[in-house]
Amino acid sequence: MFLRVFHRFFRAGVCAGGLALASLPAAAAPESLRICASEIEAPYSYKDGSGFENRIAEIVARQMGRKADFVWSPRAAIYLVRDGLDKNECDVVMGLDSGDERVLTTRPYYRAGYVFVTRADRDLSIDTWNDPRLKQMNSIAMGYASSAEAMIKKIGKYEDNANYVYSLTDFKSRRNQYIRVDPARMVNEVAQGKADLAIAFAPEVARYVKSSTVPLKMQRVPADDTGSGEPIPFQFDQSMAVRKNDRALLDALNAALAAAAPQIQKVLSDEGIPVVPAAS
Amino acid sequence: MRKVLLSATALATALASTLALANDKLVQLSQSEENWVMTGKNYNANNFSKATQINDKNVKQLRPAWTFSTGVLNGHEGTPLVVNGTMYIHSPFPNLTFALDLANPTRIKWMDKPKQNAAARAVACCDVVNRGLAYWPGDGKVPALIFKTQLDGHIVALNAETGETYWKLENSDIRVGSTLTIAPYVVKDYVIVGSSGAELGVRGYLTAYDVKTGEQKWRAYATGPDEELRLAKDFNSANPHYGQFGLGLKTWEGEAWKIGGGTNWGWYAFDPATDLIYFGSGNPAPWNETMRPGDNKWTMTIWGRNVDTGMAKFGYQKTPHDEWDYAGVNVMMLSEQTDKAGKKRKLLTHPDRNGIIYTLDRENGDLISADKLDDTVNWVKSVDLKTGLPLRDPEFATRMDHNGRDICPSAMGYHNQGHDSYNPDKQLFFLGINHICMDWEPFMLPYRAGQFFVGATLNMYPGPKGDRQNYEGLGQIKAYNSITGEYKWDKMERFAVWGGTLATAGNLVFYGTLDGFIKARNADTGDLLWKFKLPSGVIGHPMTYTHKGTQYVAIFYGVGGWPGIGLVQDLEDPTAGLGAVGAFKKLANYTQMGGGIMVFSLDGKGPYDDINLGEYASN
Repeated sequence: MFLRVFHRFFRAGVCAGGLALASLPAAAAPESLRICASEIEAPYSYKDGSGFENRIAEIVARQMGRKADFVWSPRAAIYLVRDGLDKNECDVVMGLDSGDERVLTTRPYYRAGYVFVTRADRDLSIDTWNDPRLKQMNSIAMGYASSAEAMIKKIGKYEDNANYVYSLTDFKSRRNQYIRVDPARMVNEVAQGKADLAIAFAPEVARYVKSSTVPLKMQRVPADDTGSGEPIPFQFDQSMAVRKNDRALLDALNAALAAAAPQIQKVLSDEGIPVVPAAS
Repeated sequence: MRKVLLSATALATALASTLALANDKLVQLSQSEENWVMTGKNYNANNFSKATQINDKNVKQLRPAWTFSTGVLNGHEGTPLVVNGTMYIHSPFPNLTFALDLANPTRIKWMDKPKQNAAARAVACCDVVNRGLAYWPGDGKVPALIFKTQLDGHIVALNAETGETYWKLENSDIRVGSTLTIAPYVVKDYVIVGSSGAELGVRGYLTAYDVKTGEQKWRAYATGPDEELRLAKDFNSANPHYGQFGLGLKTWEGEAWKIGGGTNWGWYAFDPATDLIYFGSGNPAPWNETMRPGDNKWTMTIWGRNVDTGMAKFGYQKTPHDEWDYAGVNVMMLSEQTDKAGKKRKLLTHPDRNGIIYTLDRENGDLISADKLDDTVNWVKSVDLKTGLPLRDPEFATRMDHNGRDICPSAMGYHNQGHDSYNPDKQLFFLGINHICMDWEPFMLPYRAGQFFVGATLNMYPGPKGDRQNYEGLGQIKAYNSITGEYKWDKMERFAVWGGTLATAGNLVFYGTLDGFIKARNADTGDLLWKFKLPSGVIGHPMTYTHKGTQYVAIFYGVGGWPGIGLVQDLEDPTAGLGAVGAFKKLANYTQMGGGIMVFSLDGKGPYDDINLGEYASN
């Protein structure tokens, strides 16, 4: 569904905020690196700087000999490109899928995949989407319009499970509103036995899985999607992004990312993220 | 002079005592101008009173007789009921109910103050409105009952005399996002109630309960398999081109029908001769049309269902595959008129949110006419009366690869939940109209790990006939003849006429405005004859009743609902409330929140003419 929607949209050349990018480079002082950051996107980014990508941004800035200058937005990170980067309010967005067509993306600084989060004591080892136990489950936590949702649709579990997912956002009216399912809540639902399973991007839940008092297990989501239609990807390269006309900054970021790779690896490993080897 | 209508009352009382069925009793009660026993006055739902004491000659003498505050500051939709000398008043969440003695409204006769899960507030999409009450006259064994709905999904039967709870049940589960805002509806010994929450994937349903016990008699869905849709064997046999069987599944991708919306939170009408109840199902879900390919039957449908069995005799889908949020739940008004060919017909007329006013033969569902509510409607060029299909103009579609500009009507519709009126003597429908258009700019935001969000930026503003510089001229009031398709008169209003109209045989049309006026116009000409500035704006409709020989007009004030969402929630982003905040940004210059009723009569005549009424009397 995602790819179909995505391509239909961008082929037509209609894009939120327009692709009419400002022709002038950012006016930031040379010693600072203006990073677009959401105040509410834990564990990636949080207003007190505790997000693991806040830390990565600081490492990269330091490597560049610049000061990390977080331009905080009270809105969800999904709006950062349109409302921050494209408006020249900041110059770098962390953590986009590599190759995002709206921007220039750096070489990936990590690759990760979706995971099944289950209680360790349930001993649920699911390694195929054809597992009959999936068919029995009616409380599977996941994010809206995610790869998890697309796959759950494909195996015919979406409608029976939709109500449970709405409960994770307290049945707030979703009429034309972006609402994020809180990853800490997803993990907590599994820990408390309210959810049979959570399916989420590992970096989004790793911190909460690690800190859970109830032992939890993260297991890589299988890539055995043999159904019809476009295959649904479950592993993604993560990049930093700049405006399309900001190639010099892109080059500088790429150089810094390469040099700072060990420090970045440490942040990811402290976070408990099971990283996946790069695709190529 | 005060005894003019006594004979009518006496007649009604005499008849009532000999009737077996409570339903007939309700019909009798509805025929007396002393009562207003259901939201639409009678089963024709025409909001028409034969009372003439207040008329075009003397209406300018209307003055307040008494008032009552509900103590709730949110949008007050619907209208109070009056039965046998008692007025029953409802409020938005927390859904208070009050009974007042019309002879002496000094002391509240009884009050019902339910305890509700406050979580219901967060679930409701557009303010925490409630549309009203229903009355069942009792049968000698079971007392007369007042039915109410609560936002948290409960339906409650109250003893009409004492206010005590007679029974209470959960119709809609707040834990699954289903709320209730609709007024219940009583036919025979059934109380019928709809559902809300299409935005959250609630699969719309209509349920009939036994008034005496709350036992469920039938439940019919708007989507899904035929058995659950409850389609009669001859469903749409008079109009097979509307579609017949299997479509509640086939017109959806996969199992999307399970969360397909089509709730009904509007109004009902009933014809004892056809035994059919008429209502409209609402918009499909999810909100974004890209996610639900197909016609999405039977959302957006005018239904005729047998009231005893729930089986549908006909269903006509007005807006297949809705892209605009034109929820089809609006009022159904019944009339008997002679059509263009000279044939007397039993009709149903429905001003839809999509900007078309439909008239159907209510015996078999034949589509007779489908006229634009205003010549500025543009998403549809016309409705083909042979096929029943709208001929769309792709320029005003909302598809993802297209920036829609100046789409009329907006998502709020040219007509929304207002309960309008019909004067059978003049063959005129009096319609409160929203004159609002919109820009629809779709966007698609990718997130990471393949996640994305598809939405649209909505900007709403006055239609072409309004003042687009100053954001006024957002409404109209119109007199419509459904046989000729002509508008006898129309007048612009500063804001949407959201609540509906009342027609009387005194050659009058009454209605309230969002900026807080109650107005009376000449039914023949539309000339403004009287108005009064109320404490707060109006989103309900006026009613009238006669008590002890004096005719009164009553109306709820209390701005809110969708048009007042910015004012109620103090929002400033013009695109919030799907664009309603921007469209109504001038509203707060005219009115503020409130909540209550005002009752008017000629020269303010009323119970307190007796200066001692309600006085403290020491022993």
